[in-house]
Amino acid sequence: MADPDAGRDARTRRAAGRGSLAVMLLPALMAVVGLFGGGLFLGILQGLGHLPGAGLSRLSATHFSRVWSDPDFLTSFGLTLYIAAVSTLVAAVISVVAALALSRLVNRYRAVHFVFQVPLTVPHLVIAVAVLFMISPAGLLARVAAAAGLIQAPADFPLLVNDRWSIGIILTYVWKEIPFITLMLLAVLQNAGRELLDVGRTLKADAWQRFRHIVLPTIFPALGAASLIVFAYTFGAFEVPYLLGRTYPMTLPVWAYKHYSDIDLLARPEGIATGILIAGMVAAAVVTAQALTRAARKKGIVL
Amino acid sequence: MGALSLKNLTIHYGRQPVVADFDLDIRDGEMVSLLGPSGAGKTTILKVVAGLLAPTRGAILIDGQAVTDLPPEKRDAVMIFQKPLLFPFMNVQQNIAFGLKMRGDSGDRRARAVAHILALTRLDGLGRRKVHELSGGQQQRVALARALVLEPAILLMDEPLSNLDANLRQEMRELILGIQSELGITTLFVTHDQAEALMMSQRVALLLEGRLRQVGSPRELYHRPADPDVARFFGGDNFIQGRMRDGVFETDFGPFPVEAVSGNGHRRTATIRPEDIQLVTDTGDQPDHLPGTVKRTRFEGMATRAWVSCPSGELVVLTPRSGLSAGQAVQLRLPPEKIRIFPD
Repeated sequence: MADPDAGRDARTRRAAGRGSLAVMLLPALMAVVGLFGGGLFLGILQGLGHLPGAGLSRLSATHFSRVWSDPDFLTSFGLTLYIAAVSTLVAAVISVVAALALSRLVNRYRAVHFVFQVPLTVPHLVIAVAVLFMISPAGLLARVAAAAGLIQAPADFPLLVNDRWSIGIILTYVWKEIPFITLMLLAVLQNAGRELLDVGRTLKADAWQRFRHIVLPTIFPALGAASLIVFAYTFGAFEVPYLLGRTYPMTLPVWAYKHYSDIDLLARPEGIATGILIAGMVAAAVVTAQALTRAARKKGIVL
Repeated sequence: MGALSLKNLTIHYGRQPVVADFDLDIRDGEMVSLLGPSGAGKTTILKVVAGLLAPTRGAILIDGQAVTDLPPEKRDAVMIFQKPLLFPFMNVQQNIAFGLKMRGDSGDRRARAVAHILALTRLDGLGRRKVHELSGGQQQRVALARALVLEPAILLMDEPLSNLDANLRQEMRELILGIQSELGITTLFVTHDQAEALMMSQRVALLLEGRLRQVGSPRELYHRPADPDVARFFGGDNFIQGRMRDGVFETDFGPFPVEAVSGNGHRRTATIRPEDIQLVTDTGDQPDHLPGTVKRTRFEGMATRAWVSCPSGELVVLTPRSGLSAGQAVQLRLPPEKIRIFPD
């Protein structure tokens, strides 16, 4: 017979454990909920039109619907989507190639891992400035190209910053996000990938078959999760497109900032509504990334 | 099916030699165990045969054809690893069909082969299961099925049972032995477990510190070890020093008449297995018996291991006799025909 007291004791211990965990997490939770949650609550309130300073107090979804129906918003939305998607795609493709190439080196040369960790610590703004110095018409590459006789003058260098195709912004994101995605993929390949590749080799899979049938399915959850995080970040980031983007059209975060900081206080709710929409998309991407990771763990793929 | 020949294999990790001058011939359809302690180089040899590692020098031949420079996918050899290493994103039948698909077999053919091998490995009804829903034993059976379905000339098994519990291990041994004898696949089976090597294979190759020390039938290695290290690996505890003189091996434990062994007058080392020593508790004076005192005992189920102190040294005895206790006076008989004298 099972001892009912023992079961009760175990339940009591688990409840006590959960209780002490909640107490330990409380200070951090208070900061997060108070600062982030409070800000979000105030944001939603202002987005819904509660701005007493500007004489607005009635709550409605007017500003959200006005934002959605504004052609400039849709243009900005398209541009932001384009930059986030292309940056993520290019970074993901290069990262897959880099991770595969590095997976055999990392065991022998720990320094490779370190080299890839360094860019993670560099702020986006610093990289944006570096890109500006490198590829702007007055930048290093333009001068080198002119000195080498490839172009007549530095000003003839193709426009790669504040340009129509947002190349400077995309280059910045790609440069910054490749190490992040690569390290995520390397962790997977180091854990299970190499052994599975050995199995594949003895089961007669050639190099392409191993990539198609083993590497891609193995890294897909990590690649998906990392790419979604990168997408969410690039979709919501402000400083790089503000520095390297055109004045029109502008990305959504810049659009939101412009509206929020407009001297016309009545434009502020629309800026906030845009910010809330960006936050919603970012949250959706993070939740999807989490779901992908959890599904992969359930299947036994280590992340 | 195929014969496997490993000629003068030498393998380095960096500058460190791991395996040196390794030679082994496995006949078509034969099952050979590559036995040795951890770090002896067994897995390294298996990986070299599979093509996952390159030897520093030497040659690998399958059916007389050199495959040393061929990549793994071009060799007619399949390896089963210590862990099942199933593809987690595929179900059981997709895992099993993987090699067939890579080889370009048609869907119908794959389905037939998978159904046959599922039955052979007692996995009927599990084809659509996800691999993380299987037990450890079932996972290892899927790994076995995935290798066997390719009908390779050579099957390489790297301690495939070491992660299973004792009961499952026994069950898997029977399964592997049954399938191997039914299909007649030439098999090189790596293990560090001497009992497993003895019961699984037709021949055993013992590898110590990267060198092949003895190849032979399980009985040969067990009863006629080539040297003291081999004897020690197979549980030999009793080593006796002595000198050969006119057909007699003279030792501190007494003279033992032996069959002709060369080296008259030379010092030699001999061994006798613990279970070959006869222990009697009757202390009556027997001319060919050694008096001794039990120092300690250990119950081992079917037998009791006793450490017996004799005037000439200590001997370890494995006896079915129960009720021995420390301090007890006993007599030991060392049958001369059971004494193995090592050549120079």
